[in-house]
Amino acid sequence: METSLTLKGVSWRHKVRDASSWKPWAKKDGPGIHSIDLEIQKGTILGLIGPNGAGKTTLMRAICGLYDCEGFDKSCTSRRTGIGYMPEQIRWEGRVSVRSSLQTISLMRDEDIDLDGIIETVGLSSKSEHFLDDLSQGMRQRLSLACALIGEPKILVMDEPLNGLDPLAQRAFCNLLKSLSSKGVAVVISSHQVSDLESFVDRIALLHHGQLLAEGTLPSIRQNLGLKDSAGIVEMICSVTGIEPEDVSLELSNDDLLPFKQHGGEEE
Amino acid sequence: MSAFNLGWHIMKERLLAGRMLVIWPLLAMFILFSSWGLSDPKANLPTGLVIDSAYDVMFASTAFIIFSATMGAVLISFDGISRDRLSGVLEVKLSQPIQRSVYARALLIGHWCAIFVPVLILNLIGLVIIWYRMNELPSLEELFIHTLATGLLLLWYTSIQLLASSWAKDMGASIAVGLGIWMLFTLLWLVLTTLAAGLLGVGVENLNSTEYIRIEAIMDLFSPNGVYHHLLEMPLSDTDRGISPLTTSIAAVLWSILPLYLFIRRTERMLP
Repeated sequence: METSLTLKGVSWRHKVRDASSWKPWAKKDGPGIHSIDLEIQKGTILGLIGPNGAGKTTLMRAICGLYDCEGFDKSCTSRRTGIGYMPEQIRWEGRVSVRSSLQTISLMRDEDIDLDGIIETVGLSSKSEHFLDDLSQGMRQRLSLACALIGEPKILVMDEPLNGLDPLAQRAFCNLLKSLSSKGVAVVISSHQVSDLESFVDRIALLHHGQLLAEGTLPSIRQNLGLKDSAGIVEMICSVTGIEPEDVSLELSNDDLLPFKQHGGEEE
Repeated sequence: MSAFNLGWHIMKERLLAGRMLVIWPLLAMFILFSSWGLSDPKANLPTGLVIDSAYDVMFASTAFIIFSATMGAVLISFDGISRDRLSGVLEVKLSQPIQRSVYARALLIGHWCAIFVPVLILNLIGLVIIWYRMNELPSLEELFIHTLATGLLLLWYTSIQLLASSWAKDMGASIAVGLGIWMLFTLLWLVLTTLAAGLLGVGVENLNSTEYIRIEAIMDLFSPNGVYHHLLEMPLSDTDRGISPLTTSIAAVLWSILPLYLFIRRTERMLP
């Protein structure tokens, strides 16, 4: 299958405040992603999964050129031309119309954009002249989706896109992604709605502590992790974090569950 | 895709923002009323400033521009980036295939035009008022210098405020930095000038002494408001504070380049 984007050894560490220093501006390397090798294939839907703090959003931002990662710098505008990004939960606000917001984004691209078509696709035709302040959360998610669709991207990167959508809109959203993928668009998606994700992703990338632990189709990952055929995404996460599914607690978001060194990554 | 097109769109959005309902009347009151009042032949100014030409009225009314328009620049630009960062919209914008330097220039053009256009319109109406009251208009050269200087002053404040907005992690910090800088240059600069004069052994009991005026003129080169006044003084034949037009021009260029360069550099390195 044709590859839309190849990531090779992509690493990024967030800078966090260094509490041990007397200087308030002192920063040190914090969590991030480590030597990620990943191929994003044309016409497939890749689901990024992992516990909170695994590095899903960081990886997505790196793909979209928001970080100066090794071999992947943000000044590369040509790569960004083919990518549409939908971040998690944007709070669109202000006395600006939906159309005007989309115009701002479209003016950042060097091409003619059919804004009406995009507005219609995401179901915002009746709201296109409404102010952002007047939109519901679901409508704001649709607007974020519309921004991602500007410029007919070859790769769609979507961080928790189903949040805030009602079940009907979620279904419509999944249908839209499937339709785009059938047209050759590669979709990278992360979602906490694991049951929905299982039903429509073609491949899964399992992240933990900023490392890519497994990547492939659901059956192949199950096999690699030694899980039953019925095992879902929760079981996969539990498997790599060493937690029994019945013992799952909020500690799952704890970054210290699995040391880096056990998976060959760099040690903190 | 050009910085101008995007900047023009940003300007239109900013001009329609709710805060313009406050900024427009404030600017109108300061600029139009000062033009009306100062062009009154019976006007008796407390500073002893003699007004006998249309340009003198425009020069004197710049004191009101400094108070209102620069504050307007701060109020328009304080959330130029910080609001987008807080809401998450900045992530979408930075992921677009536009060079960061072009985006920075577009932001600057948009926010600068959003304050400069209303000031320009009101200045032109002020000019009509002066003509009506004094039956006199400034020369084209004087008008050009006044417009250029006002445009530059607003550009400096806009770029400083956008820089603050890109640094700040929240809108409160952004407006605090912007207002702090505005207060420093608009209200506190006199204190710093007298402090500098005192440290250099110049008596501050007489603020009209030659030595003090010389120090004030030098200190003014380090303040946008001061450089603005130096620029405006260039056509005035009866005002000489010992600063050559070349020095003033160099200071104006530096004030234009430095914050702009820092802002573009900051935008290129900015993380969402």
